Amino acid sequence: MAHQAHAYHMVDPSPWPLTGAIAALLMTSGLAIWFHFHSISLMTLGLILMLLTMYQWWRDIVREGTYQGHHTPPVQKGLRYGMILFITSEVFFFLGFFWAFYHSSLAPTPELGGTWPPAGITPLDPFEVPLLNTAVLLASGVTVTWAHHSIMEGNRKQAIQSLTLTIILGLYFTFLQAMEYFEAPFTIADGVYGSTFFVATGFHGLHVIIGSSFLAICLLRQILHHFTSNHHFGFEAAAWYWHFVDVVWLFLYISIYWWGS
Amino acid sequence: MYYKLSGFTQKLTGSACTTAYNPQVRPGSGVSVSDGGLRVGVPAESPTMTFATPTKVVSEAGAMVEYMGSNRVPDLQRLFQTPDGLPVHLKGGVPDRLLYRTTMALTIGGALYCLVALYIAAQPRKN
Repeated sequence: MAHQAHAYHMVDPSPWPLTGAIAALLMTSGLAIWFHFHSISLMTLGLILMLLTMYQWWRDIVREGTYQGHHTPPVQKGLRYGMILFITSEVFFFLGFFWAFYHSSLAPTPELGGTWPPAGITPLDPFEVPLLNTAVLLASGVTVTWAHHSIMEGNRKQAIQSLTLTIILGLYFTFLQAMEYFEAPFTIADGVYGSTFFVATGFHGLHVIIGSSFLAICLLRQILHHFTSNHHFGFEAAAWYWHFVDVVWLFLYISIYWWGS
Repeated sequence: MYYKLSGFTQKLTGSACTTAYNPQVRPGSGVSVSDGGLRVGVPAESPTMTFATPTKVVSEAGAMVEYMGSNRVPDLQRLFQTPDGLPVHLKGGVPDRLLYRTTMALTIGGALYCLVALYIAAQPRKN
């Protein structure tokens, strides 16, 4: 390998941007074909190609970072900025849904009966399952911090156990949300209340599932000895993301479940 | 205290004076310890088995036995840092090549299929 006089990562040519772009084309075209011709073959093909691309791309990033040592301190700094900007963009994504919710609820139109929750809507009791969900996510915030400190102290066993606990709490939250959705006395089609409720909490639920997957990959990598006590940015990024999801839930709980009911 | 080499742990272990390693008196030679040229002064006391029962089995075996699997990262670092000129997505060997070719075949085949499907969808409906 030729010597380089700087600490930056010169990446190998990669096929994954191409395969990922074609996967996106197949999935979007496949969606249109499904809507028009009731055939899901193109969309399924796109989905398989997307999953293959995701697996191999992220596998290569683990190889570059953990096995080839390309993630030097300046490169890690770039990864940090990247993750911060990504989470910032996610904050603004959720800001839009909160804007829609407050726009509709602060000055309810005559069509809604001039009240919030709108006439005919029976909202969920915020002090039943949603409060439990709040406790579950706050507890998972504690266990993910426990995992971080265990990794920093080189305590392998506790890191694995606390990370496992965090993922279990994340799955429990998803399970409880699924139960709430089944039992909810209103649907996404029940006017602006149903729309704002299910879009905001649904995208939050999607983010919990993404965060749980991210943490599960970190657990696998911790078991495989990928993280050292001073180099574990993959885990830190997952922890940042998890805290972000946690904070979004607190805003959802206070705004939509509590104040909104 | 007297010591002998334990056949079980291959380590020194506490023992009674009659079974302790003693080059002057061989066991089974018919000569009792007290008859030997070198006197063993202190009578046998029941020893504690300190040396043969290590309390930390994990540390004895070194880094090979660890909680939930051993560390294979150094081996993989050696593999993925071999200067063979291969790009990172093919450096893992045959499984990498198979996966890459499958993905590439689906990419090309899927793109062609997609163009055909979109072309058909763009034709006016016949009825």
